[in-house]
Amino acid sequence: MEKISDALLYERVRGKDKDALEELYDRYEKMLFSYLCKMTGDRDLAEEALQEVFVKVWRGVGSYDEGKGKFVAWLVTMSRNAAVDLIRKQKKPSVPLDEIAEVESTDSSVEETAEWQEKSEQIHQAVRHLSEEQQKMVHLFYFKGYTHETIAEKCGIPLGTVKSRIRLALKKLKTSLQMVQEGGVLDDKREL
Amino acid sequence: MTNVNCDQLIDYLNGTLNEEEQKQFEAHLAECPECRDIVDATGELPYLADPVAPDAGMKARILDAVFDEGEQQAPLAEEPKKRDRPTPPATMAKRGFRTSKWTPLVAAALLVSLLGNAYAFYELSDQPDAPTTPEVAFETVDLQASEAFEGTGTAALVHEEGALNLLVQANQLEPTSGDQVYQVWLLKDGQPIPTGAFTPSQENEGAVFFSLDENTEGWDTIAVTLEPNRGNTAPQGEIVLSAAIDPEA
Repeated sequence: MEKISDALLYERVRGKDKDALEELYDRYEKMLFSYLCKMTGDRDLAEEALQEVFVKVWRGVGSYDEGKGKFVAWLVTMSRNAAVDLIRKQKKPSVPLDEIAEVESTDSSVEETAEWQEKSEQIHQAVRHLSEEQQKMVHLFYFKGYTHETIAEKCGIPLGTVKSRIRLALKKLKTSLQMVQEGGVLDDKREL
Repeated sequence: MTNVNCDQLIDYLNGTLNEEEQKQFEAHLAECPECRDIVDATGELPYLADPVAPDAGMKARILDAVFDEGEQQAPLAEEPKKRDRPTPPATMAKRGFRTSKWTPLVAAALLVSLLGNAYAFYELSDQPDAPTTPEVAFETVDLQASEAFEGTGTAALVHEEGALNLLVQANQLEPTSGDQVYQVWLLKDGQPIPTGAFTPSQENEGAVFFSLDENTEGWDTIAVTLEPNRGNTAPQGEIVLSAAIDPEA
C-alpha cells in the first residue's frame, strides 16, 4: 500500500482530521522525542515541547506548505524552538551533548530500529565531513538550545559571522548527506 | 547565489523573524532551492540523537491535550473547582448594585472571554520574565436543583482585577408566567444580595452576567429563586437551584 505523504496528511489535519494528526504523530513521535530528550536532557520537558508542537500543528499555527521544504524539517524547526523556549523559561541549563545517559528503546520493532540505524549512520557520516568549527555550530544551535545570539555571545564572534557559519555548516551537511545517501558509503577522507 | 533574503535563513530557523519578515522569507524560501535544501537537511538532525523510547502513556497524554486545546478555548476541565453541596438560603439584607441581563448566547461568549482572559494571565504568569500580572481566580460550580425542580445550571465566578464577575447559566427551566423571573443571589453567612435576574428563552434556557466591584470576597453560597417579580432585594420565591462556593476563591 502506498504510504500517504506527510503533506497530504497535513492537508487533512487542516480539515480537522484527527486520524491524520495521529498518523503524523506516530510517524515522528520517536524521532522528535529522542531529539528533544537530547536537547533538554529531561523527558518531561521533552514531552512538554512535543505537545506544544502538535498543539500548534492542530491549531494551524504557522501553517505548513511544500514551499517551506520537507514537512519533517518544519517539525524539527518547531520542536527546536519549542524546546529553546522551555529551556529559557525554566532557566534550566541544557545538558552537554555527551552527558545524557543513553536510553535504548525497548519496544521498537526491528524494522524501525534498522531504519533509525541507517538514518543515524548517514547523518553521522555527513557530520564528520564538517570542520570542527562547523560541527560546533550545529551542535550549539540544534542540540544545546542556544540561539544564534547566545552563540555569538558565548563564542565572542559577531552575530553575522555566527549566522553565516551556521548556514555554511548546514549547507555542507546537506551536500555530504546527499552524497552519502546517493553513493552509499562516502569516502571519509574526501574533502567536500 | 546568496541574496539579502538568504541571509535571513538562520533567523527563520531560530524563529526570530517578525510576522512581516517571516512572510517575506517564506515567499523567498518557496523560490530558493538552496535555502530549501538547507532547511531540509535540518530534518535529518534528530538522528544524531540516541533513540529514546517514549513511555506507553505519552501518546494518549499528548493527543488528549492537543484535541482538548483545539476544541476548548480555555482549560475548563482542569482549573475550576467543582462543588455540589446544595445550600438553603436564609434571611435577606438590602443593598444596591448594578445588574444587567444578557441573552444566553452573549453570556456564553462572555464566559469564554472571561475564562480566556484568566487563561491568558495564567499562561503569562508561567513566564518568569513576564511583568507582574493581575491576579485572576475562577471557579465553576454545578448548581443543584431543589426537589420538584427539573432544571440544571452552572455558575462561574471570576475574580479579576479587584472585581468579581459572576455568570450563571441554566437550562431545562420551567417557563415563567406574568412578571416572574429567575433571580440569582450570592450569600454570605446566610445574607443574600441579588445578583441579576433572567427569564428563560423559548428553549427554556437562561443566563445572567453580574459584576461586583466591591465586597467581592467571602461569598459562600449561590442560589437561584423563582421570584414573582423583578427587583426584589430579598427573596420571596422558592429556591430552585443552589450550590456552595469557596469563600476563599
